[in-house]
Amino acid sequence: MFKNKISDKNKRVNPEMDITLAREMKQARNIQMKLLNATKPEIGNADISGVSIPARLIGGDYFDFQTLPNGKLRIIIGDVMGKGIPAAMLMILTRGAFRSSLEFKATPSETLEVMNRSMYNDLKTLGSFVTLLCADWDPDTNALTYSSAGHNLPIIVNKKSKERELVKQSGVMIGGLADSRYIDQTITLSHQDMVFFYTDGIIEAQDQHGNLFRLPRLVELLKTLHHFKTNEIEYSIKEEIDSFTNGIMQKDDITMLILKVNENDK
Amino acid sequence: MLEFEKIKTQRLLFVKCKGDLDIECEEIVHEELIPAMIHEKNVRVDFSNVHFVDSSGMGLLISLVKTLKDKDINITIQNINDDILEVFDLLQIPQIIGSDVLLLES
Repeated sequence: MFKNKISDKNKRVNPEMDITLAREMKQARNIQMKLLNATKPEIGNADISGVSIPARLIGGDYFDFQTLPNGKLRIIIGDVMGKGIPAAMLMILTRGAFRSSLEFKATPSETLEVMNRSMYNDLKTLGSFVTLLCADWDPDTNALTYSSAGHNLPIIVNKKSKERELVKQSGVMIGGLADSRYIDQTITLSHQDMVFFYTDGIIEAQDQHGNLFRLPRLVELLKTLHHFKTNEIEYSIKEEIDSFTNGIMQKDDITMLILKVNENDK
Repeated sequence: MLEFEKIKTQRLLFVKCKGDLDIECEEIVHEELIPAMIHEKNVRVDFSNVHFVDSSGMGLLISLVKTLKDKDINITIQNINDDILEVFDLLQIPQIIGSDVLLLES
């Protein structure tokens, strides 16, 4: 029964190679952290924050913000299949496709279609996929338009600490099908709504018994944290996950991006 | 960690998987599981004892199904739990690998 267990593939390398590899990994991590943690845009009265914590030295999660010429804030968050160096390389490819897509002045769904077209052949060749959630927030109307390519929808908690329902939406992962089509959904945010974008590393964090953190726990936690600033929410969630996993090695990259609208308009 | 047990019948190869399907299964899928299936005509994979599939595991599963389909091997997967099916739905996995691959309880 079940004799075909994974075999240990670790091979010894020479010490000089170890040092070179360690140095290059450190440099790669620095590059990735700088690209991910670029200056946060200042827009409207919003309080915005984002962080990515790779499971290994570098990771395959991605998030980005860009202010569009029409004054909207474009947000993107994604998860490249896999971890470590291969995923990090594809994360850079994803970032390039996103930045290039901004030239098309497209909606979130059209942006995903443009990105899928530009990345499909490479991802097919490499046998990989990327899940993405793209959203535009209009600070004038508070409309949040979002589209998903196989990525978890954001969680929205209002100032009364209630979760707001979003229209369920699914879409094929980037790299899944050559001509994937995506749809936009729009919700109008209210004063002090908190929008929490995330990758599955949060809800799939495991404790020592293999139990998952899961979505309901995250939602309940966000309800209790709603009145904090976004960077404090970020910190508290990291603390809560650390407490839950209790020293168990992080298996997947963890990324969260938080938008609180009209934060200064009390 | 993923383990599997093979049961060969006249009609098909039955593969019973046990454990989590994640990034750590890269070698077992490509070096053991696919080679074990590649010369068959019909393969049925049982997921009764697979409780968790992460995004990397989804990629491995897609790779496995596509590799077998490219060789004209019929593959079906049965007894997928609700948590995993929910992720399949989010990622639109049936559209990518073919809805006939997943045997769902009505």
